[in-house]
Amino acid sequence: MTSSLLAQLPPGMILVLGVLAMPLLRLIPGGTWVRLQQALSLILPVVSVLHMQWIAGLGGPSPVGADPLEVVSYAWSTEMFGYTLTPIRVDRLALVWGWVFHLAALLSAIYALHVKDTLQQVAGLSYAGGAIAAVFAGDLITLFVFWELTAITSVFLIWANRDPGSIKVGLRYLIIQVGSGVLLLAGAIIRFFEEGTLDFGQIATGDPLDAVGVIGIERIGGLLILVAFGIKAAFPLLHNWLQDAYPKATVTGTVFLSAFTTKLAIYALARGYCGESVLIPVGVVMTLFPIFFAVIENDLRRVLAYSLNNQLGYMVVGVGLADFATDPEVARLALNGTAAHAFAHIIYKGLLFMSMGAVLHRVGTIKASELGGLYKSMPLSAAFCIIASLSISGFPLFSGFTTKSMTMTAAFSSHALPGVGMTLVFVGLLIASAGVVDHSGIKIPFFSFFAHDSGKRVKEAPLNMLVAMGAAALICFVLGVYPQPLYDILPTPVVSSAEAAVAGQSLYYQPYDAFHVVSYLQLLLFAALAFVIMMRKGWYPAEIRAENLDTDWIYRRAGPAVVRWLAWVISSARDWVIARALDAVGWVLGHVHALHSPRGGLLGEPWPTGATAKWATALLCMYLLLSYL
Amino acid sequence: MSGHGDGRWLDDDKNVRLIIKALAVACVLLLLADVALTVMDGHHYHHHTHYSVERIPAFYALFGFLAYAGIVTGAKQLRKVLKRPEDYYDE
Repeated sequence: MTSSLLAQLPPGMILVLGVLAMPLLRLIPGGTWVRLQQALSLILPVVSVLHMQWIAGLGGPSPVGADPLEVVSYAWSTEMFGYTLTPIRVDRLALVWGWVFHLAALLSAIYALHVKDTLQQVAGLSYAGGAIAAVFAGDLITLFVFWELTAITSVFLIWANRDPGSIKVGLRYLIIQVGSGVLLLAGAIIRFFEEGTLDFGQIATGDPLDAVGVIGIERIGGLLILVAFGIKAAFPLLHNWLQDAYPKATVTGTVFLSAFTTKLAIYALARGYCGESVLIPVGVVMTLFPIFFAVIENDLRRVLAYSLNNQLGYMVVGVGLADFATDPEVARLALNGTAAHAFAHIIYKGLLFMSMGAVLHRVGTIKASELGGLYKSMPLSAAFCIIASLSISGFPLFSGFTTKSMTMTAAFSSHALPGVGMTLVFVGLLIASAGVVDHSGIKIPFFSFFAHDSGKRVKEAPLNMLVAMGAAALICFVLGVYPQPLYDILPTPVVSSAEAAVAGQSLYYQPYDAFHVVSYLQLLLFAALAFVIMMRKGWYPAEIRAENLDTDWIYRRAGPAVVRWLAWVISSARDWVIARALDAVGWVLGHVHALHSPRGGLLGEPWPTGATAKWATALLCMYLLLSYL
Repeated sequence: MSGHGDGRWLDDDKNVRLIIKALAVACVLLLLADVALTVMDGHHYHHHTHYSVERIPAFYALFGFLAYAGIVTGAKQLRKVLKRPEDYYDE
């Protein structure tokens, strides 16, 4: 009985339900509730991952010779309101995200261990749980429910700052996030009437006609769902909620936020829209435009938000390249690249946000113009930050090199776009890679920990933060030198020799090839050389206190201005109409008054009786005449 | 050097120059390695390239340098258009 209930509990729900005990722990008299909350926040992710593993194993071993992408290791469907829903479906694609989301939840919980704020503890872990549950959703309605759960829980990580500014930011964030969910629901309902199914993307790799799960953008429903995913994935022009909200969350809240929402969207894209070639140019633009904003941004957590946007671009390109109908080998490599990159990225991006969070926690500001020289006070944080920077830049021996390169290789060998399309993708992705060197590879560690010594002397980050950062740094390094454990769990397992690869079941990929290492090191080190020259010559743009406009200007300035203008136009028009109407009424009343005035008014004067008799005689005479005519 | 009584190795500009020199040496070595591998065993070395420009020695070096300089220069121009006072949104 208990086990059957647990088998119907979506993975991640243990986090969502478990945190409900957090407020109850506060009822315990004395100070023990703090320790109990801390223990619970560490135990829940571990119990939840065990639950996920148990559920994944319920279906038994997968059939020999089956395509690993198509194997559903466990599913639970149920009838609800006459519709078939599948709250749990486990396959390899979902499990990659399941694993890394649990890892991120645990690391974030360790990082946030010192926070004695029940609101943040509850919000952070239930947000993580909602994202994990969404990953295992087998239908669009279940996805919608958890999609909205992540929106509603995560906004409290912004509001937990408890100041008027964060209330405003949080409201903007919530409106956009919930809006994305509403579009998803609308799309799901329309798609149900178009296609008669609520099923969410069972990946099919064989005959393209079998690819029923892929949603596609040919019809309205699929298009709406793509926009819903695109909002959370921060597509160009739909992106600015990310740079608006993430830097305004609490120190620990941003670390949680950086892991889940956007990568859930990438997962949803991979499941619903793999091989949709329009995603390739969208992704390339995403890798490019944020790098310019990142160079001139002063808030280092906002620099990281732009950098996050750029990283999502590579994953979107990977999803777009995964077209199984035209080139299954490239498709497998691209889908693997997206999954591997998402995994590594969640850890190193989390680490970058952790190190900048540690600086904000100790110094009280994260503005590059106020920082510098902090390696003297926070040497460990600085070292961990540099490891994350090397990872995100794709430096050999670190996790970015062994994961992102898979997507790059797929992009370089793909013919998904006609004409010079793929050459532009090649050039675009390389420019973007040089951009990553700047904003995350150099700018983040350099302007916070080195550069001009700000004279600020603070304490090293708290122990729990250092433990979380150390663990994340270790993962970045281990995945860089020995990526095989990650390669084993990718949608298509990766083997390390070309001979061992079996078509349709495993894939050969080797990141450490001489050309690959030399060419990528050239790109990175010569970019660094350019930085050094520009810095020494004083050509590098100075870090200055400023706000840079982005698309949020549309709804923060232009929108309100237009509304104010419209309100002015409407109220002026109303005033004018009322004034004219009053004038008209006054004019009429004036004339009526004049006509009836006892002094000189035509109808207001008293009439003599003789005049009445004269008029009556005249009328009777006319009547007499008329009757003879 | 720092004026805070806790001068470190990095505070000395001489040492900063040393790091820059090391970076320059690494760059030169990479170029040499690229040329050497191309000359010695170009066919095998370039096995995984997809575009002919990739096979030109130092292509990635040149690309990295120019792309970086271009991005930073471009961003400086962008700042002229986008920069506003810090309290622009008044929040």
